[in-house]
Amino acid sequence: MNKLILITLSGVAAMLLPSCNDVLGDLYDEPVATSEYGFVEVCTESKPGLIYINATDYTTWTYIDFENRRIDSLYVNDPAPSDWSFAVHRYDTKTNNAKVIATTLTDINEARAWTDAGNVEGAGDIWTTDKIVTDMSTMMDGYLSYADSYYNPVLSGWLNVDTSTMPPEYTMSDKVYILLLQDGKRAAVKLADFMNSAGIKAYMSIQYVYPL
Amino acid sequence: MMKRNIITLLLLGMMQPEVFAQADSEAMLDSLEKVWDMTLNEVVVTGTRTPKLLKDSPVLTRVISGADIRKSDATNISDLLQSELPGIEFSYSMNQQVSLNMQGFGGNAVLFLIDGERVAGETLDNVDFSRLNLNDAGKVEIVKGAASSLYGSNAVGGVVNIISRESSEPWSMNVNARYGKHNEQRYGLNFGFNTWKISNSLSAQYTHIDSYDMKNQGDYNRFYGGRTYNIKDRLTFKVTDKLKFTGRVGYFFRERNSAETTHDRYRDLSAGLKGVYDFSKATNLELSYSYDQYDKSDYMIANRLDVRDYSNAQNIGKAVLNHTFADKHILTVGGDVMRDYLMTYQFADNGNKKQITADGFAQIDLNFHKNLNLILGGRYDYFSESDMKHFSPRVNAMYKFNRFSFRGSYAGGFRAPTLKEMYMDFDMAGIFMIYGNKDLKPESSNNFQLSAEYTRGLFNATLGGFCNLVDNRITTVWNKAMNGMVYTNIGKMTISGLDANVSWKSTLGFGARASYVYTHEHVRKGEPYTASTRPHTATVRLDYAKNWKNYGLMVALNGRVLSKVAVDEFVSASSYDETVRVEYPAYTMWKLNITQSIWKGIDVIATIDNLFNYVPKYNYSSTPSTTGISFAIGLSLDIDKMVK
Repeated sequence: MNKLILITLSGVAAMLLPSCNDVLGDLYDEPVATSEYGFVEVCTESKPGLIYINATDYTTWTYIDFENRRIDSLYVNDPAPSDWSFAVHRYDTKTNNAKVIATTLTDINEARAWTDAGNVEGAGDIWTTDKIVTDMSTMMDGYLSYADSYYNPVLSGWLNVDTSTMPPEYTMSDKVYILLLQDGKRAAVKLADFMNSAGIKAYMSIQYVYPL
Repeated sequence: MMKRNIITLLLLGMMQPEVFAQADSEAMLDSLEKVWDMTLNEVVVTGTRTPKLLKDSPVLTRVISGADIRKSDATNISDLLQSELPGIEFSYSMNQQVSLNMQGFGGNAVLFLIDGERVAGETLDNVDFSRLNLNDAGKVEIVKGAASSLYGSNAVGGVVNIISRESSEPWSMNVNARYGKHNEQRYGLNFGFNTWKISNSLSAQYTHIDSYDMKNQGDYNRFYGGRTYNIKDRLTFKVTDKLKFTGRVGYFFRERNSAETTHDRYRDLSAGLKGVYDFSKATNLELSYSYDQYDKSDYMIANRLDVRDYSNAQNIGKAVLNHTFADKHILTVGGDVMRDYLMTYQFADNGNKKQITADGFAQIDLNFHKNLNLILGGRYDYFSESDMKHFSPRVNAMYKFNRFSFRGSYAGGFRAPTLKEMYMDFDMAGIFMIYGNKDLKPESSNNFQLSAEYTRGLFNATLGGFCNLVDNRITTVWNKAMNGMVYTNIGKMTISGLDANVSWKSTLGFGARASYVYTHEHVRKGEPYTASTRPHTATVRLDYAKNWKNYGLMVALNGRVLSKVAVDEFVSASSYDETVRVEYPAYTMWKLNITQSIWKGIDVIATIDNLFNYVPKYNYSSTPSTTGISFAIGLSLDIDKMVK
């Protein structure tokens, strides 16, 4: 019987030798490690640019300045920088006294050919007290914490978040938006993605054309 | 006795005219034996880990035969179990992940096996049930109650063992297809051969269903569609009369259309090698090695990246020795060693953890008298990460008296804290954190069962009672100091109830089965957990099968009835002081399956599901994701029968 037990244990040990963790590993892609934020591709006459921002922090607005190709992330209650065009908080947006038009275009390359045939005025920002969530952790106590802030309802429509079900459903509008900036210039933007390559949400890839 | 046999033989003659038209009484007796054998002399292995006749097993085992699987028209194990067994409910956890409740036990407290082997991976504490498809299933054995003395961790509330079909034909081949509502498609292939010392069995299946909107609003408004592939091969090489090797390999893929921008993907690769050596008629040794890797990834449609965020790989070595002594008693000893690897997005920085588990077990099956069977067993488990040791005992007894079989048992069950439960460090969408707890104790249960079975002819009835004393159940509990959820052991609870089953087969081809379970979950007040199991559930099947010379007909009506349940739900997720009573409605679902064998090996199957057009007024996570009555049509071709 001792011999039998020895054979048994030897067999088990031998079988465990090829222990491995990962036979399927080659099937997958590695997330692209991106540490570069801001105007990662500059708009030219022939192709649109790309702005990539990390908007995961609930307590910051990321200000985007087309003119100086600059982004700044500031605490939600801090004053805005001197020069900026529009800003992003998670999926929410506000503008620097701009008007926003939602076009029917879905290709940013066609933005330069866009004309406001109907002389559309565009939508300005509205003052809100229940849009800009700054603390989700209080949800467990039955409420959310908001910052009072301006908010552009048209541009924020670039991503619809349906929270009536868990998990929420995210639907991008796929539209090109025209920003009628306060200095009279125009820009076109389109939300290309709201996740990074690892699938983490609130990493915003924004295509743009400026000046239009 | 003679009179009854004659009547039975006459009835058999009416059932199968082509068989009995010119049969003599000896052939009739043979056929009667066959019917008898099929119903009562099923061989089961799950309860004792050794082959044993169902009627002789002191461990009450429910067998869903291959024929019953076909009658249910089920695609995977969740379809089958809820169709066949009361006390089983599959509902949705968050994000439409399927979650099991089996008589008060969740998915992580019921051990699922494929041919006796564990399956890796879990989502919200449940294995991937769609991976457990039935394309090549020969039967399913279910042992309710604790079984950790044989199977170790997770066998707290029961064991479900899917056993692959084996064919003794020189070759066999089946292709099948099914099409139903919401563009639901299922295609299957089974091919097997036996030649020289080798037998092989290949199985492949593809399924697809579209996403669809629910008719009414609720906890979820849209059903996520998707597709699956499942391919398996099993090869057996009989080296000598005494030595046999079985190798197997399988691959599973599932894609779930959970969002417009990303799809969830699930993959599994399993492989194994098993050798069985018969030292003598009385002694055999089984050695096996198995590997199972279950992965989850997110497929981002826009940039076509498939990024993995979960991988669980298990390497298991196993040895089992069976020795029969005094021609009637069986000693079983064995042990397992498992290396468990887990990488998950729920660990800090998508990290990984490993642990070794080892166990030894022994069981003695004593048959002192032809009417009395006693099983004693125990198993000792060790887990390296928690340095935890646990002993699980069992005692089973069966006494036969005339047409009655009485069974009684005590069994210990436990579930060791998983790597996830020990090391989780997960930010839940910025809302709260979920933390693991390395100091968790194992969940344990003491299971007591008593049952009486009565068999007469083709009639069988079983009535049983069960009581589970559960302690240290592991769940997430709000921790104010950490401002998050922490895996915690909760206090004692009791799950008890009654289990009744009646089945009858007529020699005319009619059959009926009705099963009922009453479950009562008793949880002490003040615990961060409340009872949620439906107290009354039942399943019913009526069927008829008859074969003529060139035509066969099988009609099966399957129904399940679930009572309403009132659940005291906590008003706040961060406080367990205040509850509100929520009532989840009763419902019943019925499925009619008609199979016509129109020519050699050609079956046409028509199915009407949700026969009474039940549409939930509100889609709770526990209501079925149905939009009403649905129809499906299927075709099954046994190629080997067609060409013979």
